[in-house]
Amino acid sequence: MILENFPTFSEWILPGIALFGGIILVAVLLGLFFGYVVASFRYGPFEAFYTVAQVVGEAVPDFFNTSPKRVMAMARLAVKEALRRKVIVVAFAIFVLLLLFGQWFMTSQTEKPEQRFINTVMFGTQLLTLLTMMLVSAFSLPEDIKKKTIYTVVTKPVRPTEIILGRIVGFGFLGSLLLLAMGLVSFLFVSRNLTHNHDVVGDTQTIASLTKFEMGTKFSPETGRRLSDNAVMEGSTNTVSGHSHRLEVIEFLASGPDDPMVSGPDVVDVFEKSNQTFVHRLICLPYGGHTHEVTVDGKGDDAKITIGPSVGYFRARVPIYAEKLRFLDSDGKPSDKGLNVGKESTYRGFIDGGSPLGGASLSRANFFYEGITPDRFQNLDVIPLELQLGVFRTYKADIQQQVMAGITFESVPDNESENRFVSNMENFETNEYQLQVRGVNRKIRGQILAPDGSLVEQGEYDLFDDFAKNGKLKISLACLDRSQYLGCAKADIYFRAGDEVYWWNFAKGYIGIWCQMMIIIAMAVAFSTFLSSPIVMLGVIVMMVVGFFTPFIRSLKTTDWDAGGPIESFIRVVTQSNMMVELETGWATTLIKNTDAFINQRLSDLTYLAPDFKQLDFANFLTFGYSIDTQRIVVAVAVTLAFCIGLTLLGYFSLKTREIAK
Amino acid sequence: MATETTADQTEEKKSSKLEQTNPDYDPNIVIETQNLTKIYRDFWGRQKVRALNALDLEIRKGEIFGLLGPNGSGKSTTIKLLLGLLFPTSGRAMVFGENATEVTKNERIGYLPEESYLYKFLTAEETLDFYGRLFDMPAKVRKERVQSLIQQVGLTHAKRRQLREYSKGMTRRIGLAQALINDPELVLLDEPTSGLDPLGTREMKDMILKLRDQGKTVVMCSHLLGDVQDVCDRIAILYQGDLKELGRVDSLLKVSEETQIRAKNLPDAARAEILEVIKKHGGGDAEVENPKSTLEELFLNIVRESEQRPGQRASGNK
Repeated sequence: MILENFPTFSEWILPGIALFGGIILVAVLLGLFFGYVVASFRYGPFEAFYTVAQVVGEAVPDFFNTSPKRVMAMARLAVKEALRRKVIVVAFAIFVLLLLFGQWFMTSQTEKPEQRFINTVMFGTQLLTLLTMMLVSAFSLPEDIKKKTIYTVVTKPVRPTEIILGRIVGFGFLGSLLLLAMGLVSFLFVSRNLTHNHDVVGDTQTIASLTKFEMGTKFSPETGRRLSDNAVMEGSTNTVSGHSHRLEVIEFLASGPDDPMVSGPDVVDVFEKSNQTFVHRLICLPYGGHTHEVTVDGKGDDAKITIGPSVGYFRARVPIYAEKLRFLDSDGKPSDKGLNVGKESTYRGFIDGGSPLGGASLSRANFFYEGITPDRFQNLDVIPLELQLGVFRTYKADIQQQVMAGITFESVPDNESENRFVSNMENFETNEYQLQVRGVNRKIRGQILAPDGSLVEQGEYDLFDDFAKNGKLKISLACLDRSQYLGCAKADIYFRAGDEVYWWNFAKGYIGIWCQMMIIIAMAVAFSTFLSSPIVMLGVIVMMVVGFFTPFIRSLKTTDWDAGGPIESFIRVVTQSNMMVELETGWATTLIKNTDAFINQRLSDLTYLAPDFKQLDFANFLTFGYSIDTQRIVVAVAVTLAFCIGLTLLGYFSLKTREIAK
Repeated sequence: MATETTADQTEEKKSSKLEQTNPDYDPNIVIETQNLTKIYRDFWGRQKVRALNALDLEIRKGEIFGLLGPNGSGKSTTIKLLLGLLFPTSGRAMVFGENATEVTKNERIGYLPEESYLYKFLTAEETLDFYGRLFDMPAKVRKERVQSLIQQVGLTHAKRRQLREYSKGMTRRIGLAQALINDPELVLLDEPTSGLDPLGTREMKDMILKLRDQGKTVVMCSHLLGDVQDVCDRIAILYQGDLKELGRVDSLLKVSEETQIRAKNLPDAARAEILEVIKKHGGGDAEVENPKSTLEELFLNIVRESEQRPGQRASGNK
């Protein structure tokens, strides 16, 4: 999952408030200026001054005297209006119908059924909720003005703030109900479609249903498929929900008769060979991101096999990401971005494995963690570490052969004069974006190095007590295959602290849609104070599109254009000047470039007027099975609140300065 | 009782505040307009129509004031300016000593628009409850007031029906009820009898008179001259935005050069004697005859009798 750098709420709030305050200040100043200009045309310059002053003077008591009771009365009206027009019921019915028919096309016969189901329900919910609430809110106030029902409201002691806030609250409440209903149906839909059981193919549901072969057989005598290294039997489950699983009995070496593995529920046989204990376990091989628990009752061929419910779906992993990621280049020198592998996405940086002629590379990706304490991992002896790396191959060779990588753990002393703990390198193979789930033993073999790099001692050390004594830990990633590259970003290697309750994480995913919905409602209500319904809809749709593509639009500003900004480009077009040739230096060029820079900056500022919907979209967390960080939720709610306040101000001044009657 | 006391206290507080801030404020003058002008303009700011021209008006507490004039004379524009629904092009409109655009003045105002612009998806009870909430009325007071008004306008039988099912007359009644939800001191009625049958018209007129008797000020605009004549104490006649006449109805309609004598059960001999006396004193065009009732009175009498004796029919050969 691509996870852009994200500040915590405390890091975000001050610049956020400064940006919000700046936008509001500029908007108020521009509003006053344009208000004065328009009033000057109508009443003359002196009278205009008093008119503008009157509006400003009335605004302050209007805000302070806004009555929550009247806001709630307006909200109740908005709710009744939408309910009795049955828009919400129709939207919900359409959603249910979409799920019913969509089910035909969303079988679990796919690589990642959980992702497909969650993507579909989240997208359907988002689309229907946003469109429905946009329609409801865009038509409400203009209809009131058109049908003149607003006459009987504004002639009561109702302030414009109450009219706007009432609608935002009312439609927000209704949208929340719709979202809740859709969320519940979606949760049931996904759960129902992913939960399933299998039987073993064969007449008896016993070990006798499996095919035996010699250990070391590479390909199945029955199906011709590649077998696991130590497999001794194979079989298959029946097809349920569009897929089946392969079953294999695999031989494991146990540490002794007391090894917990020996007494596991999936044990088919335990035997001694050459004074060593071996265990045959029945494994259900994963398919589409899940597997099943297997229970074997009895001994020998008559032992009964029971395939349990699916395991692997409905995860909400709580990752502990690195605080920072630093690269070393091929010579072991610090580098900002990692190696350049061509025109690739800049999200991941790359490290190389050296070259056949130059030897092994010193290129490393160093992940720095903080807060690594045993209590965050429930004092487990084996700490889960998950990796998902990019792979860039410069030659294919055997494409099925994975790229070799290695990781080492290092302590990060607070003082440079302290000794460092460095673990031995653990090697593993990986394919592009393949999720590697590794258990890191708390006891790690390694060495203590003096500050000058000399060896102090070797031995077995504790991950928490020695390596991460101060809570800090470094993981160093190396690519071990020559001429191959590994790509990684900060979120690609993380410790898994545990799992969050799934339904709660699912609910948090809907908070993102709720935030988007509230902004759409506030936008539609604010726009409808001065625009007709169709124009409101058009405006909101444009803002939505801009909102979903905000990162792209903002990236346009940061791109270095070869031919300069708009003025410079125009000059180049007129003078037929090649865009690679620098303009003549002089005051004119300086003026052009500065003007372009100014325009560029102002255009960039304008992008902040549109909400960044990507920032409010948490669907990917659910799709990829990660817990949604509370910091993100808090920031999303704060952004939503800021937009609602800004849009309420816009709506207030628009309603205050317009004539309600014609 | 407690509510009344609170309302009185609020009024006192408001009046004293205005007196403090505006020494010219006379609590007996409810509405005051000075040079009030409204010009409608197009998108480009060009003048389309001058709807109201330099209107100077004072409406005093406790009177029924009628704005009279043909369509397009500026009656509704005046009402809308007084309510703050429109902004004056020049001049000013004051209500209870406050600028007409002030929201706070609305706490003491009730407004019945030309057509009852109400939410059709609400029932009568919900409608009044909604408007009651806009006045921050406590729940108990609101409920009592809603039931009392529904009974007062005769809609008890239809209080749980949505307004979209209402006839025009019923809609006007619920419209009037919403205008009275806050027990206002000033009631502005835009064409109050429009769309009502003669019975409804009479009831509306009786209601207006009752409001005056309760000490409220009523401002109504209408082009139905009979209605205005029946209920108004003072009237202003507008034509093409200009104020053409202003004064008390009785003095405006008084025909000074004619004398009317009314008596019951007068014998013919006495009639002849009266004519003689008139001739003797030089009175010209003297007539002595039985007065005629109005068609409205005849209609109302028939309806009342029909209600008392259902089934009675008139013969067709009269």
